Amino acid sequence: MTETPMRNALRAGFQRGGIELRHLLRNGKEMASHLSNVVVALLVAGFVGDDVPGTRTPMAHLLLAGFAAYLLFQVGMINLPQILVTEREEGTLLRLRATPGGIPAYLVAKCLLVVALAVGTLVLLLAAGALLVDGPLPHGPGDWLTLAWVTTLGLLAVVPLGAAVGAVLPNPREALALIMLPTMGLLFISGTMIPITSMSVPVQQVAAVFPLKWMAQGLRSALLPDTARTAEVAGSWELPMVALVLTAWAVLGFLLAVPLLRRAARRESGSRLSARHEKAARSGAPT
Amino acid sequence: MTLGDSTTTPRRTPARPVVHARDVRMTYGDLDVLHGVDLDIHHGEVFALLGPNGAGKTTTVEILEGFRRRSAGEVSVLGTDPERGDDAWRSRIGLVLQSWRDHRRWRVGELLTHFATYYADPRDPAELLALVGLTDQAGRPVERLSGGQRRRLDVALGIVGRPELLFLDEPTTGFDPEARHEFHALVDRLARDEGVTVLLTTHDLVEAERLADRIAMMVGGRIRACGTPAELAGRAAARAEVRWTADDGTPRRERTEDPSRLVWELHRRADGPIAGLEVRRPTLEDTYLHMVHREADGADPGTGTDMNTGTGTGTDEEAHVV
Repeated sequence: MTETPMRNALRAGFQRGGIELRHLLRNGKEMASHLSNVVVALLVAGFVGDDVPGTRTPMAHLLLAGFAAYLLFQVGMINLPQILVTEREEGTLLRLRATPGGIPAYLVAKCLLVVALAVGTLVLLLAAGALLVDGPLPHGPGDWLTLAWVTTLGLLAVVPLGAAVGAVLPNPREALALIMLPTMGLLFISGTMIPITSMSVPVQQVAAVFPLKWMAQGLRSALLPDTARTAEVAGSWELPMVALVLTAWAVLGFLLAVPLLRRAARRESGSRLSARHEKAARSGAPT
Repeated sequence: MTLGDSTTTPRRTPARPVVHARDVRMTYGDLDVLHGVDLDIHHGEVFALLGPNGAGKTTTVEILEGFRRRSAGEVSVLGTDPERGDDAWRSRIGLVLQSWRDHRRWRVGELLTHFATYYADPRDPAELLALVGLTDQAGRPVERLSGGQRRRLDVALGIVGRPELLFLDEPTTGFDPEARHEFHALVDRLARDEGVTVLLTTHDLVEAERLADRIAMMVGGRIRACGTPAELAGRAAARAEVRWTADDGTPRRERTEDPSRLVWELHRRADGPIAGLEVRRPTLEDTYLHMVHREADGADPGTGTDMNTGTGTGTDEEAHVV
C-alpha cells in the first residue's frame, strides 16, 4: 500500500527532472550563464604560463582543477538555492504541496537536475580544457576513481547544504546578494585559483573549515601529477581528510536540509504567496 | 446552533457533510482572527464564502485546505482532520489559488500531462484542455498565456485528479465578461454533472449569486449569515422598497418590512390599479452592505448571529415586481 505511491512519486520525479533539464538546455540565457563560467575558466587557463611554484606542473592545471571544484560548489551553493527560492516564490512548491506525492517528486527532480548540471559542467570543462588549452585529465584508473568519488562526495556535501540555504533565504533578489559574497570569498581563499600555501596560516585555517578547499584538493589529486603534492599544505593530498571533511558537511547538510525544507513546504499557503507577490510588486520587481 | 444545514436540501442526501467545522478559532498572538466559525458544506454543493478583506475568509479556507493550524475547534474535510491529511486525502482535493505563477517555462499540455501522473485515476489531459478551452494553446509556454487562460489552466490543474472537493479562490478576478461567463458554465458543469463540491471565496456578489447554492457572509471573523442567495436577500435587515405614482402624479416611495401588506393596502385604498407600482426586494448586496456597515459602525458583534435564526422567506413569492 505504501510502496505504490512512493514509486509513483519517484516516477513523477524522474519525469519532472527530465522536463526541467530539457527546459534548461533550451533556455538560451541560462545556458549562456552556465557556459560563460566554463569559458572564463578556459580563457584564464590559456593565459597563465607559469608553473606552480616549486613544481613542474603548469599553473593552468591547478587553475582548471580549482575551477572544476568551484563549479561543482557553485551548482550546489548558488544555482540550487536560487532555483529553490524562485520556485517557492512563484508557487511551484505550493502546487506540489497540494499534489499527492508532490514534494518527494520535487526533491527527486531537483537532485536529478543539479547532478546533471554539475556533471555536465565538469565534463565540459575538462574535455574543453584538454582539447583547447592542454588541460589536465586523470592518469590511470586510480585517478578516475578519485575524480568520481571526490565529485560525488563533493556534491553530497554542497547540495543538501544549498537546499538548506535555499529553504531559509527570503527572496530571489536578496538571496543572490546573500550567497554571492561568501561564495566569492571562499573561492579566493580556498586555493582554487592560487596555491593555498601562498595564503597566511590563519586564512588557510578558515578555508579548511569549508568544503570548497577539500573539493579542490581532491580534484587536484585526481588531475595533477603526484609531484605537485609539494605545493599542498601538508605536502600530500590528504585524501582521508578530504573524505572526512566532505562527509561531515554532507551529514550536516542533510541534518539541516530535511527539517528546513519540511518547514518551508509547510509554511507555504495561498495567502503567503499573495503577500510576497504584493511585496515584490511594491518594490518594483517584475512579477 | 448549527449554521446552514437547516435551510437547504442538498441535491443528494449525504451521510455527512463534505466540510464540517464547529467553533473554529484562530488567534495570532493577541489578535483573534476567527471567533468560532461553524460551517457545513454538503456533497455536490457550490458554497460561496463572501466577505470584505480581513474578514477571515482566507484563514478559514486555509484551515480547511490543511495549510494552517487552527487555534481551537473541530474540523473535518472529507471525513479527515486537515491537519492530519495525507496524500490519499490530498488526492481528493483540488485547489485553484489566485497567486499561482508557477511552471512558467512548461508547455500547457506538458504541464497538465505531468500533473496527471500524480493521481491514480486522472482525467484525460486532452479532454481537460478542451473542457477549459485551451486546446489551441497546448503547445504554448505557460508564461505566454493571458490572465484568463492562465486561470483556466489553473482550474484544469485543480481538477485533473478528479477531486471531490474543489477550492476556488477569487477565481474570476481580472476576467473579461465572456471569460467569466465561460468560467461560470464550467463550475456549473463540475457541480451539476459530476457532483464536485465547490467552496468559492469571492468579493463578487454577482458571481456568488450566480454560482452558489448557498452563501455564507463572513465579517469580523464570524459567519454572520448563511443561506441560499434568495434567503439572504429576503432576510435582509434592509427593507423592501415600494414605489408608485400617487393620484396627483407625484412619485411616492416607502420602505417596509412587509411590502405585500403595503401593496394590498394601497390597492384597497385606490380601489383599482395603481400607476407605476414597483416592489424592489432587498438584494444580496443590500444584506451584504448592511452587514459590513454594521460591523464598521462597531455594533455589538453578538447581535450579528441572529441573522441565522431568521424566519426564512415565507413572503418571497409575493414580493416581486407587479
